Amino acid sequence: MNERIDKLHSNLLKIGSIMAGLALWHILSDYILKDPTFLVSPVVVVRASYEMLFVTGELYPHLFASSWIFFYGFALAIVTGVPLGFLMALSPAVRDYVNPWMTTLYSTPRIAFAPILLLWFGIGGGAKVAIVFLGCLFPILINSYYGMRVVNREYVELARSFRLTSWALFMKILLPASVPFILAGIRLSIGRGLTSVAIAEWFGATEGLGYLVFFAGQTLNIPTLFVGVAAFAVLGILGFEIIRRVEAYATPWRKESQGG
Amino acid sequence: MAGSVLELRNLHKEIPRKDREPFTIFKNINLSLRDGEFVSVVGPSGCGKTTMLRVINGLMPRTSGDIFIDGKSSAELDHELVMGFVFQGASLLPWRTSLKNVLLGLEGRGANSNDAATIARKYLDLVGLSGFENHYPHELSGGMQQRVNLARALAVNPRILLMDEPFAALDAQTRNFMQLELLRIWAETKKTVIFVTHMIAEAILLSDRVIVFSHRPGTIRSEFQVPLERPRSMEMRADPRFLELENIVWKQIEAEVNAAGGFAKM
Repeated sequence: MNERIDKLHSNLLKIGSIMAGLALWHILSDYILKDPTFLVSPVVVVRASYEMLFVTGELYPHLFASSWIFFYGFALAIVTGVPLGFLMALSPAVRDYVNPWMTTLYSTPRIAFAPILLLWFGIGGGAKVAIVFLGCLFPILINSYYGMRVVNREYVELARSFRLTSWALFMKILLPASVPFILAGIRLSIGRGLTSVAIAEWFGATEGLGYLVFFAGQTLNIPTLFVGVAAFAVLGILGFEIIRRVEAYATPWRKESQGG
Repeated sequence: MAGSVLELRNLHKEIPRKDREPFTIFKNINLSLRDGEFVSVVGPSGCGKTTMLRVINGLMPRTSGDIFIDGKSSAELDHELVMGFVFQGASLLPWRTSLKNVLLGLEGRGANSNDAATIARKYLDLVGLSGFENHYPHELSGGMQQRVNLARALAVNPRILLMDEPFAALDAQTRNFMQLELLRIWAETKKTVIFVTHMIAEAILLSDRVIVFSHRPGTIRSEFQVPLERPRSMEMRADPRFLELENIVWKQIEAEVNAAGGFAKM
């Protein structure tokens, strides 16, 4: 019972926070700044979103273009990063091979890679996917590696005492123990991936939310600019929510993942 | 010795060190357990008793000496589950329910999954946890977790049960209940048990025989038959024979600690 009241309380606070933020924004734009080339009210943004979604429909091509680029780069990062992270954790040789590259690429600002990737892959989808891939890869790779490295030694001894085969040790102990870390890496990579989409589309794209925001900024189309930013935010929130559900489904044994 | 279930002959364990002579954990361990015997090992902290248990189970390699189970060398039996290990921490896999934790040792051992689940249920029932099959470890108390730990080790029907201070992390009251539970379960399953503990009273209450380890490097300093009839009960802790043995064992451990430079240096 108390738990339900706590949850209700927490939800009310969240909604209150959003409402207060929007109100503040509205007051700032319409009553203090009063300069629509600088900041427009959330009411204007909502109206512009409505028009772009349901009247002109001009948001969809951008939304789809960005979503696909994000999805391809993100999925590629998962299918490469997770196994590579595992291999690094299980083989010191692989770790020593990959580590210097990982450290270098991870610590270099991704935006610096964008022009060279565009040069290599051209301004088609390939370069954009590559930029998103690079953005998503490292949190997934590092977390998969780390998750498997820090598996409780007791569990490994347990496997030994039950004479589990190496394969069973991997499948029954190492892999499930790493799942929360992998999911945390995937969650981190959503934000980085969307940033990468924006970066990729700023360089010589003709569609996509990044392009929309960039172009709107250049032409001082403030409402459209905010619609583009809001669309990114919605994608991010959607991605987080999906991962949260996957976490709750895949790791029901973790108390933390059961809350909100 | 003929007819012994577990026999240790001159078991010796040392750890190599860089630029120094190897560090001896224990040496000259000769021990023989008959079928269904409950033997406890006590000794000062760091005397190598836990390491001995791990060496017997093959979690660590031995330096020299032999281990025989029913007359067969342990190397021959390495891929068979002749021993069940009850860890000090319950070490339950947090992503598996009680039932799935108990199933761990049974999976991939030939039994079909229905039979395995029936066996796992039977052992959960034996340790008093029927109805908790689908609970995750974090939903269980420390005592219940140790019950699952015990059920998991028993479920593979091992010849020998190795128990490494399984009740050390429990509060005093829960520990007493678990000791009685262990006695009941042991009487039902008739396993041969080596039980490592730092609590002399626990060792006496549970065991047929108490082995006292010396300080590092661990050797068997002495051993005592426990002069108490079975079934045991908590009241026996006030029995003069119990108290006398407790006193003798304590004196020996105290002497070992003093020989090592006193408790503060341990």
